[in-house]
Amino acid sequence: MRWGMVIDLKRCIGCYGCQLACKAEHGTPPGVYYARVLKQEEGQYPTVRQLSLPVLCNHCEDPPCVDACPTGASFKWEEDGIVDIDHDRCVGCRACMMACPYTNRYFNDQPPHYFPQGMTPYEEARTQRHQQNVVMKCNFCRDRVRAGKLPACVANCPTIARYFGDLDDPLSEVSVLIKERGGFTLHPEIGTGPSVYYLPP
Amino acid sequence: MSEISTKYDRLIQDLRLEFRPQREWGEGRGVFLVIGHFLVGIAAGAWLFGLLFSYTGGLVIAFLLAGAGGIAHLAFLGRPERFWKMARHVRTSWISRGFVGLALFLAGAAAYLPPLLLAAWPWSSASALAQAGWLAAAVGMVVLIGYMGFVYTASKGIPFWNSPLHPILYVAHALRGGAAAMLVAVALLGPPDSNLTGSLIKVWIAITALVALLFVLEIHGALTGGNAASRRSAHELLAGRLAAAFYGGTLLIGLVVPAMLVGTRLAPLSLGVLAVIGLCSTLGDFFMKYTSIRAGVYLPLLPRRTTAR
Repeated sequence: MRWGMVIDLKRCIGCYGCQLACKAEHGTPPGVYYARVLKQEEGQYPTVRQLSLPVLCNHCEDPPCVDACPTGASFKWEEDGIVDIDHDRCVGCRACMMACPYTNRYFNDQPPHYFPQGMTPYEEARTQRHQQNVVMKCNFCRDRVRAGKLPACVANCPTIARYFGDLDDPLSEVSVLIKERGGFTLHPEIGTGPSVYYLPP
Repeated sequence: MSEISTKYDRLIQDLRLEFRPQREWGEGRGVFLVIGHFLVGIAAGAWLFGLLFSYTGGLVIAFLLAGAGGIAHLAFLGRPERFWKMARHVRTSWISRGFVGLALFLAGAAAYLPPLLLAAWPWSSASALAQAGWLAAAVGMVVLIGYMGFVYTASKGIPFWNSPLHPILYVAHALRGGAAAMLVAVALLGPPDSNLTGSLIKVWIAITALVALLFVLEIHGALTGGNAASRRSAHELLAGRLAAAFYGGTLLIGLVVPAMLVGTRLAPLSLGVLAVIGLCSTLGDFFMKYTSIRAGVYLPLLPRRTTAR
């Protein structure tokens, strides 16, 4: 089994719902974004369009971050292909951040609160649990997935632009969408084999 | 609080840029990584030349620099208390290999050096322990000279570093740093014989020419290659935010001043002049590494200008 995600750029309206759902699910500290949305404007007035590109860890088949990690803190789950971090092993050398061609890793070296007054009750409950001075990234909401749920960004997308499934199953929804609609990955030339595919806008 | 806010705001600003600069290696505490690589590279080079020229003073300086380099590396880590875990992944990780190399070097040098310096030491320099130390330090030295360039080349997110020339350039850097450290050591401790100084200067000139050639080739490759992020990094180095450090530190201090002292014979090659040449060369190496690291920008995810939140 290899979990993968398909993001339909035709459906995505760039509402940042995925980014917010992810923040709420994981309680990530300031400066850490497991999911975010890039925006690009194309054309010239009055013929312009805006492309939204949601990005997250690509859970590569051949992840360079895992190879670069000196402690084995970055690793890949054999049973489902999810690339994860064991924060108890991370020394904070940030080699994985330099190795990731998708720039989707963040170093958590800031206090776990957004407001100068200190932590809110929410932050005390959710954000404070994360270790400081370690690298953090998306893990496809592995706990949710193992409990039979969809990742938070998929479950909360209001336009149903995100699909989640088994890339190894040729009959899964994600495999069919990739095949029928010409799914593509970011920077395929690097040869890392991403598990996040995009459908053209 | 303002510092926190500044850092957060800068990250948000960076995420909006087409070419996001890497700041983790080289800024804030990240500068300790540059210092660590710089010191460890010099240490390995100095150890090599110390062995080649049978100069114990060079070996002592190499050992001290390697120790300082190790401390700098620890100061860089987010979780230094877990440093020993870095030995776990030598199969694929260059940082892990470097850690093992440094540990071997320090342990080996600690076994090999004392009997050379102190006659009353519990074991002699011909003992099995000292010889094992020599071997361990030699293996560590080879690893330290070689691994650093590969750490950067393995960084697929930073195309400027992802060049096949980078490992060779770092090997040449280590050798140049080693020769420069030997010059300083000779100036401080005195030359063991009159031939050493002349030989060291010749070695330094040859390696400096090699470093300059490799660096020009690397910049040429970055500017003419197809990758926009590499071109941007080269631009940052030559005409952007790092230009002052590059021209002033790398070229003027690191190349022009020592080349004038050596080439034009503005001053006789006294021990003081040798020390100045060595120090300038070393400072230039630091600036070259620092600016190359700071010039790194991440591979953009979108082919054209983006804004992100």
